[in-house]
Amino acid sequence: MDPRVLWTVVLMLAPFAGAASCVFLGRSPSARRAVVLATGALLIAAALALLGEAPFRLEIHPGLRAPLGITLMAADAALLAAFLYYGAKYRHAGILLLTLLQAAGLAVFKGVLTHSAAAPGGIVVDGLACLMVLVVSIVGALICFQALPYMDNHERHYGVSPSRQPRFFGVMLLFLGAMNGFVLFHDLSFLYVFFELTTLCSFLLIGHDRTHLAVRNALRALWMNSLGGVAFVLGMIEAFRSSGTLDLAGALAAPRLEGDATYFVALALLGIACLVKSAQFPFQGWLLGAMVAPTPVSALLHSSTMVKIGVYFLLRLAPGFPGSFLGQALALAGSFGFLAAAGLAVGQSNGKKVLAYSTISNLGLMFACIGVNTGSALLAATLLLAFHAVLKAMLFLSVGAIEQHIESRDIEDMRGLYTTMPLTALITLAGVVMMILPPFGVLLGKWMAIEAVARHLPAVVMIALGSALTVLYWARWAGTLLSDPLGGRFHAERQPALTWIALGSLGLGAAALSVAAPWIVERGLAPIWHPAYGTAYAVVAGGLESATGAFAVLPLSLAAACGLALSAFALHRAFGARRVPPYLSGLQTGEGASFRGPLQQAVRVAARNYYLDRLFGEDRLNPWVNLGGAILLTLILGGVL
Amino acid sequence: MSFGALHVLGGLAGGLLVGFLAAGLDRILTARLQSRIGPPLLQPVYDVVKLLGKEALIVNAWQAFCACTTLLTAALAWLLFVLQSDLLLVFFVQAVGAVFLVVGALASGSPYSHIGAHRELLQMLSYEPLLILVFIGMYLETGSFRLEVLFAWPRPLLWRMPFLFLVLAFALGIKMRKSPFDLSACHHAHQELVRGVLTDYSGPLLALTEIAHVFEVALMLGLFTLFWPGGGVGRFLLPVAVWALVIGVDNATSRSNWRWMLGTAWGLGLGLAIVNLVWIGQG
Repeated sequence: MDPRVLWTVVLMLAPFAGAASCVFLGRSPSARRAVVLATGALLIAAALALLGEAPFRLEIHPGLRAPLGITLMAADAALLAAFLYYGAKYRHAGILLLTLLQAAGLAVFKGVLTHSAAAPGGIVVDGLACLMVLVVSIVGALICFQALPYMDNHERHYGVSPSRQPRFFGVMLLFLGAMNGFVLFHDLSFLYVFFELTTLCSFLLIGHDRTHLAVRNALRALWMNSLGGVAFVLGMIEAFRSSGTLDLAGALAAPRLEGDATYFVALALLGIACLVKSAQFPFQGWLLGAMVAPTPVSALLHSSTMVKIGVYFLLRLAPGFPGSFLGQALALAGSFGFLAAAGLAVGQSNGKKVLAYSTISNLGLMFACIGVNTGSALLAATLLLAFHAVLKAMLFLSVGAIEQHIESRDIEDMRGLYTTMPLTALITLAGVVMMILPPFGVLLGKWMAIEAVARHLPAVVMIALGSALTVLYWARWAGTLLSDPLGGRFHAERQPALTWIALGSLGLGAAALSVAAPWIVERGLAPIWHPAYGTAYAVVAGGLESATGAFAVLPLSLAAACGLALSAFALHRAFGARRVPPYLSGLQTGEGASFRGPLQQAVRVAARNYYLDRLFGEDRLNPWVNLGGAILLTLILGGVL
Repeated sequence: MSFGALHVLGGLAGGLLVGFLAAGLDRILTARLQSRIGPPLLQPVYDVVKLLGKEALIVNAWQAFCACTTLLTAALAWLLFVLQSDLLLVFFVQAVGAVFLVVGALASGSPYSHIGAHRELLQMLSYEPLLILVFIGMYLETGSFRLEVLFAWPRPLLWRMPFLFLVLAFALGIKMRKSPFDLSACHHAHQELVRGVLTDYSGPLLALTEIAHVFEVALMLGLFTLFWPGGGVGRFLLPVAVWALVIGVDNATSRSNWRWMLGTAWGLGLGLAIVNLVWIGQG
């Protein structure tokens, strides 16, 4: 068998097979573990093998078209029926209405428009698809690995019996399959099925714990993403009307009539579907609500799956709108999201919420870059996508491990975490540093983004403000992790091996990728955009150089390594030095952090971080950011109508 | 950007010279404004040397890590500036030092240290967007973020970016922690007895943060030399003038609160920057 076909099929079918096995065989913990580990390992191997074969394109065999078409129809019908079922079960009118709208749109589309059976798009494995397959398969598999010990703990803690893990892992694997399918197919009607499948998976996973809050938030995710589904169906119809094909590249390249708005209407509708999936304002609610789910779900939604659909798909569409009003509007919406989410993150003390807002913020930056739509901007978005996926997965998994240990996800409760969970605290600290500081990949991406957006004044002002807010909320967290009380020297805590494997490989992977970033950009990411946009960056002396600037990645990495060694030596020496209590106006009692108060009573000292909620609290900002998001949404739509 | 060991050593020595001279002159000038004679010019150096010789008393061992990282990155940012690297890169590297200073302060359990750390974060929140926008202005005018291009630019940027020059002066005041922006730590004993973000850094660790601050000030002053072309006196008059202005304002005003600082930076500062950016973009 042709290896290209083999690996493609494995990437798409292995998760489905794994999901089915989980559901049917997963009652036994060891069988479930074996299935998840085997599927994950197979996905990682297949993704790497695919990288070796790329780029290529597979057409769908004419003999397969009819059965595939029927499967597609059946899958569409089944998904919509599932949405209707849940809408009816929970008496949610919005979900019912939006599902019926999608059904009507699809009926018109299948029945009337595509009657002529246009040639379907095939499977395209290019650089962008490869990048996404790697992110989904590797990061996704690692998250599933860590979920194995996590869910055992979770069910023990909440006393869940009988175990609901078979279904949980079934849906997690199904999610990976849906993502790989979405990334590999190039046919809009296939994309729609996978798009809806991810909606269903996220609904099931968010509602997994079946608490009142979980169900409510799952329903919110379902109705919001159904709105995205409606936008997708309408966009698909418009794209077909404009180009007469469902093939993605064909639709973008089709000749357009002067003054025909259909094409941009299609792009705007599909763009809005992307904004919904990526939880941009005013659709941020579903992603924040998703925080009630077990932490591996948050990790999966935030890093490698759900929210990355929006960025990936918009990157696919990007060659369709350079220099257009749509691009300008998207750049505004994206940079607004970057700023607003960073501001909201400042007001949060819940660690998972900070991570959630940071995700929305970073996705906003990617959207801003896609909107600007130059070669360097798209390159920045691609680079940010990759690094964000790895680091956000790592941070979520760390917070998950911390949460199960200290039974809180509040940053205030993570004081002195270095004493109780030194290795996890260090990994989290490394994640924070890699999110905001040079010479690491996210910052390289941000550097590229600022260079690329510099001539777009409103966007660059919002990005400048957002960057400063970003530094504030991450630095505050980093300091809290290391704060007093500090114990003695380093002794790594005990965690399940799979947790260390997941955290370690994501952390080391992010660091290694950062050092290799210039070459990854040159060999892997730049060729994606080269044919249409030319190449903006070159590797010189281990750094990236453009016409306007230079980022000396390798020299800075070496400097950082030396600096780290020196600082670590200082740390080592400090552990041997004389310890004194913190400054308490000379009234410290010498026992812990307390001082002599009235009547010589010892008073314990308490200090709390500033969260500035009078300025950045959700109550205060939400009305404004939702209004801003809605205005920008009308700008996107109004500009094309 | 090409260099050898001599450039690196020379650059570091130059940074120490500029920064310590600025600190020494600051103390003399401030003393004269307060009708005192003031210490010798090299007093800041003597202070640091004395601190370095003291026993290290540790509140939280991570503060040693943070103080060391702060110094190393502040020195690296200054080096990248004098070796004519990329302006945005210089900005990002200096942010590392600023972040670790705060992280170290947060690591202590003292409420004084805590409040100082959070105020320092608010100082960063105030000056960082301003710095980025000044750099964006330089890019819009010259088409490059590379310092070698900016240093060699033939026309005075001052005439094209007067408001951004003011904005940078504003940022200098915040970065130097001078009144009315001396919220996170202050030199004036009448305003503060416990030194905010620096409260629990002592002895050699305090010395490291002081040297780091010397490099930071040198870098900020260096940025003003980009506003005037050539190798003449004009290039160096600008930073001296702005420095004198900041010291003067420091002695004429008292500490404000963070709301006022943030509001002024994000309101007035941002407004001036945007107006200037719009007209550069048009011309």
